[in-house]
Amino acid sequence: MVRFIGKRLLQMGLLFIVFLTILFFLLNAQPGDISQQFVGNPDIPPEAKEILRARLGLDQPLFFQYLNYVKNVLTLNLGQSFDHFPRPVSEILLQALPRTLYLFLTATLLSYLVGFQTGKLVAWKRDTPIERFTMVGSIILYTVFYPWFAILMLWFFGSKLGLFPLGKFLDPEKWFDSPYTANQVFNMMLLSALVAAILVGAVYWFTHKIVEPKPRQRARRLLLALVAIGMVVFWMVSPMSQYAADIAYHTILPVTTLTLVFYAAITLLTRSSMLETLREDYIFTARAKGVPEKVIRDRHAARNALLPVTTSFVLSIAAVIGGGIVTESIFSWPGLGLTLLNAVTAEDIPVAMGALAFIGFLALVAHLIADILYAVLDPRIRVES
Amino acid sequence: MTQTVSRDTPMLEVRNLVMNYGTKDGMVSAVEDVSFTLARGDSLGLVGESGCGKTSIALSLIRLLPDNAVVKQGEVILDGENMLELSPEEMRMRRWDDISMVFQGAMNSWNPVYRVGDQIREAIDIHWDEKPTVREANAKIAELFELVGIDPSMMERYPHEFSGGMKQRAVIAMALSCDPKIIIADEPTTALDVIVQEQVLEELRQIQHDLGMSIIYISHDIAVIAEITNHIGVMYAGKLVEYGPTVDVFARPRHPYSWLLLSSTPSVTGPRMKLAPLEGEPPNLLDPPSGCRFHPRCPFATDRCVAEEPPMEDIVEGHRLACWNHDQVPTTAKETE
Repeated sequence: MVRFIGKRLLQMGLLFIVFLTILFFLLNAQPGDISQQFVGNPDIPPEAKEILRARLGLDQPLFFQYLNYVKNVLTLNLGQSFDHFPRPVSEILLQALPRTLYLFLTATLLSYLVGFQTGKLVAWKRDTPIERFTMVGSIILYTVFYPWFAILMLWFFGSKLGLFPLGKFLDPEKWFDSPYTANQVFNMMLLSALVAAILVGAVYWFTHKIVEPKPRQRARRLLLALVAIGMVVFWMVSPMSQYAADIAYHTILPVTTLTLVFYAAITLLTRSSMLETLREDYIFTARAKGVPEKVIRDRHAARNALLPVTTSFVLSIAAVIGGGIVTESIFSWPGLGLTLLNAVTAEDIPVAMGALAFIGFLALVAHLIADILYAVLDPRIRVES
Repeated sequence: MTQTVSRDTPMLEVRNLVMNYGTKDGMVSAVEDVSFTLARGDSLGLVGESGCGKTSIALSLIRLLPDNAVVKQGEVILDGENMLELSPEEMRMRRWDDISMVFQGAMNSWNPVYRVGDQIREAIDIHWDEKPTVREANAKIAELFELVGIDPSMMERYPHEFSGGMKQRAVIAMALSCDPKIIIADEPTTALDVIVQEQVLEELRQIQHDLGMSIIYISHDIAVIAEITNHIGVMYAGKLVEYGPTVDVFARPRHPYSWLLLSSTPSVTGPRMKLAPLEGEPPNLLDPPSGCRFHPRCPFATDRCVAEEPPMEDIVEGHRLACWNHDQVPTTAKETE
């Protein structure tokens, strides 16, 4: 396993450099540069423009710029923004990243949890009115033009019913005398979620050595309840909680919109995967053994139907930022997607490169995680350690 | 069950079983008026071409027919109880406990994501009267693995780590795990190569002899059936056409179909002769032939065979068959020129 991961890491490094190369030349292939922003202003003389270009290194041949860039990236230096000079790119990205991760991780996790369950049940209840209703709903949500749907949601729940805020990720009035910055709160929320995930993983890891199923289940329930109580108590006593609540309130509408759209795709995927599994011989074996129907559905069929869904889950995490451009624009959510969009329109090449490089990096990591997760879930492709 | 069953009553009795599959083109008459009995410790073989209803009978016994199947009439009586009248939940508890199965596709009958031992333990957990601990169940599985000739440590392995023959042996071990009254072996060796096939058959025979359980073998391979059963039922187009002690049926097949089936099978010990292939196709069961279902392919068919259906009759004690012209069937195998 270690050798396998090592090999994969090496491949990923090479692939990343190839990706950066293509990215760099593609981004520079667009006409003009940052100095063009000032062309329309008659007060700025052409010499000043030249000075600006020279300062930013844009007067050098493209190939030298490229070598310089790769060298910088490999030393973890993403450069400085042209548009917000001299703010470092990494600072801009790190400010936007937690907001995007928070929004999309919530929506992705939620939609996979609910979508998998729905797909499973729908496949099980094949040819019933419930199935047809769910299928029609899922296909509509899956095929709907997403920006239109998002605006419709915003109009209906935000404007018409006035239930949710129309945009932004916080209410400035409530943060007026806040001792925390929004990012501190975002980071704390992400951190607590990460800690909870690690604790849940640890609970399963440590209890799987209990041989008898009954005590194992009891131990798991107890420890998981402890983790849940711990999280609730932490956020109840934390002075950040009121600010976190404000952010959460602003999250509801974008997360619901995203979740509905993701959810439909996952329901459809799970359903077809589940229907395929239900035709397998081992499902018949389980029936012949007298295994109860619910256990056949969950333990035998759904467990195998999970495999393709897992792949899609991990890869969808990589697509988070790209998908963020539309969502973040519509809901005025100042995350990485919006940052990328602004950088590209302003020809702020370093920031655009940084954001895109990050997307590429995330995609590579997601593929590695998918491979590892697959090996965990499917003993047939487990690599001999 | 504390019910007392007299020695003469067969353990399993199938009476007048009629089963159809509903398709969009109409009803397929898959099992038509089949009756047979199985005594404790006995082994019965069901032979016939593909699609003749062998597997449909097996699935009727454990009531795991596809959704479009309808049991029109008949009784399946196991130790005095009609299995067809049990509630679905009662039936579920009987499966594997009373009747277990060795499947045709052992390759695919294991769930790929669970250890083989765990999958056997699943059956044990459901059916043993007192739910055993993991340790107790594992001890039983180890014992069964030794019985079928697999290293007990293999129960910690996943199905893909087993060879084809081992998977099939493990299925046999699983079939034995709840001490069933009857094991149905549906083409238990078809997917295996000839050498492994022989070993697995030998093991099955040995186990049956040692543990004294009843086995129903289903195969299109008449040679396999001959080797390991003491009763045989020959099926054609959903009907049982001949039933009797294996020795008798093989020595002197009296139904034209059995006779032709045996003539198309090579014999190593008998005189050397050319094989006579069975001509024609099995009939379309959406619209089965009138009278005797075999008459379109039968060399002895008469007008009566077209018009009237022959009943199952005892020819000799315990040897039944359904044919109007059975006395015309030669005593030696058919030879081609």
